[in-house]
Amino acid sequence: MAAPAATAEALPVNRRARRVGDRRTVRALHYAMLSPTLALLLAFLVLPAIYVAWLSVNSSTYGQDARFVGTANYAQLFADPIFWRAFWNTFFVVNGIVYVELLLGLGLALLLSGPVPAKAVIIAVILAPYAITESSGIVMWRYLVEPDVGMVSYALGRLGLPQLDWSTSPAQTLLLASTIAIWHHLPFTFLILYAALTTVPKDILEASEIDGASRWQQFRLITLRLIMPAILIAVLFRYIFAIRTFAEVWLLTEGGPARLSEVLAIYLYREMFKYHQFGMASATGCFMLVMSLLIALPYLRRMYRETLRHA
Amino acid sequence: MKSRRDVLKALSGAVAAAIAGPFAAGRAWAADRLTIIGHAVHKAAATTGAGGDVTAAWRTKQGADIEWLTFGVEAANERAFKEASLAEGSADIVFILDRYTGPQFAGLFEDLRTWQAKDPIPEFAEIPAGMVAAHTFGGKITAIPFRHATHGLHYNTEFFAERGVTAPPKTVEETLALAEKLTFKRADGVQVYGLVMNFDDPATPIDWIRGFGGDFITSDYKVVIDQPAAVRGVTALVDLYKKGVLPKNSMNLKTEDVTTFMQQGRAAMTNNPFNRYLNYNDPKASKYPGKIAVVALPTAVDGKPMPAKTSVWAMAIPRNGRNKEKAWSLVKYLSQPENTIAETLNGNGPVRPSAYEDAKVKALIPYAAAEKQALASARLVVPGFANSAKSMDIFIEELGNAMLGTKDPQTAMNDVKKRVQPLLPT
Repeated sequence: MAAPAATAEALPVNRRARRVGDRRTVRALHYAMLSPTLALLLAFLVLPAIYVAWLSVNSSTYGQDARFVGTANYAQLFADPIFWRAFWNTFFVVNGIVYVELLLGLGLALLLSGPVPAKAVIIAVILAPYAITESSGIVMWRYLVEPDVGMVSYALGRLGLPQLDWSTSPAQTLLLASTIAIWHHLPFTFLILYAALTTVPKDILEASEIDGASRWQQFRLITLRLIMPAILIAVLFRYIFAIRTFAEVWLLTEGGPARLSEVLAIYLYREMFKYHQFGMASATGCFMLVMSLLIALPYLRRMYRETLRHA
Repeated sequence: MKSRRDVLKALSGAVAAAIAGPFAAGRAWAADRLTIIGHAVHKAAATTGAGGDVTAAWRTKQGADIEWLTFGVEAANERAFKEASLAEGSADIVFILDRYTGPQFAGLFEDLRTWQAKDPIPEFAEIPAGMVAAHTFGGKITAIPFRHATHGLHYNTEFFAERGVTAPPKTVEETLALAEKLTFKRADGVQVYGLVMNFDDPATPIDWIRGFGGDFITSDYKVVIDQPAAVRGVTALVDLYKKGVLPKNSMNLKTEDVTTFMQQGRAAMTNNPFNRYLNYNDPKASKYPGKIAVVALPTAVDGKPMPAKTSVWAMAIPRNGRNKEKAWSLVKYLSQPENTIAETLNGNGPVRPSAYEDAKVKALIPYAAAEKQALASARLVVPGFANSAKSMDIFIEELGNAMLGTKDPQTAMNDVKKRVQPLLPT
């Protein structure tokens, strides 16, 4: 403890003051520069989140004052079998989307990081779905697989194969919804992983090759480890987005038939915009938020550790 | 030469003016403009068709414009409630459908008894009491009926001829048997379904359940869907679905899908509002213009007229509206007998029975007599109450379970009763 004091004392008074002053100035400048973002976060994320949390412990609808009900909305939510069905549907859809998309995105990125003819064209084709409005893309898919008249249904019929059963089978509805989501969001995962792969130093790979490493060992022990932060970011973002999956299922079946293909976002939508039960809708929203945080937490920890390790 | 500070000042001023300008202009304009939230059919009924633009004379006299904001059925109601619940709303008149409203929303709207007493709508008593009652809560009239949407039986005359059917069915049993006969594959490979219905709410299936003498919720709030007559109706629908008379994706179909089925010749019959006649026969959109006819629904199993489903759209004035005087003036104007006739000519379901007696209506609206006949015994889908939307969803969900075969009809309807009962007003 004595040494720093001695060092400080050893510094000329004016230099010491300037250093302290600089640090203060820098801190103030940092805060000043961060403040617009923080203000926006506060206004558009934190305050609405607090409001939603407050609504979730109230009974509220249009034209009526909110009435405090404690945890009654949560109790009603957790007692509702349709909510749990929506939860499990969301669970399977989200995990399916995230991991299939990750595998496809990684596979394509690896393929295209090597010498491939017409690479630019292939990348443009992979990115194209991202340029299509989500709802237009889903409706397009829906008409392709429409029973009797859709092109896919027609082609299956011509081949003597049975029709797709997505309008009556909840499993097929969710599978189709997941496929559409993967088709639409694959460019996001692909771009992140492809960009990460381009930053893997060639000299390390060459050195490992000289040392006798196989292609699999190079990928597993070098490439994969170096792009891990990018993979974690892609997985984290896709988890957060996929939990909110709504349009794919809504525009296909609105969660039907018999609410069997409902996901949590549709459950929330119904409570909010059909039944006007804002308390229940908010409780669902809070549950989804906590779920997102719980999923994000291990990834964030891992990312934090990876970042520190590479810092 | 201007300094950087001067330029910045000028730019700031320009930006501020650009931001404030439209708002200022908007405020000045808003005083002479009424904003209406509704469905496209309301706008069409008020402004387009053989009856002409009904609002034109009112706009000229008042020196006011009308801005129509139109949405789908559910979204129009949702938007109306949302606007009306704000501290200051931007909607002056909103159209509300009976089965989406309830006593909990009554406080959002003006009590129109007060306005009626101050500046009465001529011959108001002609509007059927049942229609007014659909929008009356605790004695308070929250909206003035504008349109009814009553179901008739639409059928494709070309398909009837192809299958050797010479006349529309007379009874429920005959209709269902005919639906089987009319399910066939045409020479060009198009699969025709005998009957098509939308299952987004109970409005369409309830007709057939009532045809078998059943019902869902009675006007005195009793759930009777588990009773034998209703279950017979549900079983009949389930059988039609299993036989492929109803399309496989029936549970997924909405009003617009049914319209497409009829226009493209993929279905032979449907029970839907009479005025869909115009859409089904629209030469711009339909492959069968002039070939889709409509009659009143067939008689029920008891030999009496089948109670067709009706809905009542009505005009409400939000309490937070900025221009209530003008809003009431327009509500009153649109409700006058001569304007009701003009709106009927534009394809509206008139809320004044006398409109059906008008010579022009008789001449130009081929289904006028049949619609009048159907209206006499028509019923709302469900009476208005706070949880009506949720109750209707439960019914559709359990009906879906019965159609999918995951529950037998009786069990499914017992479950409807069990789940809906606690949601009813006590």
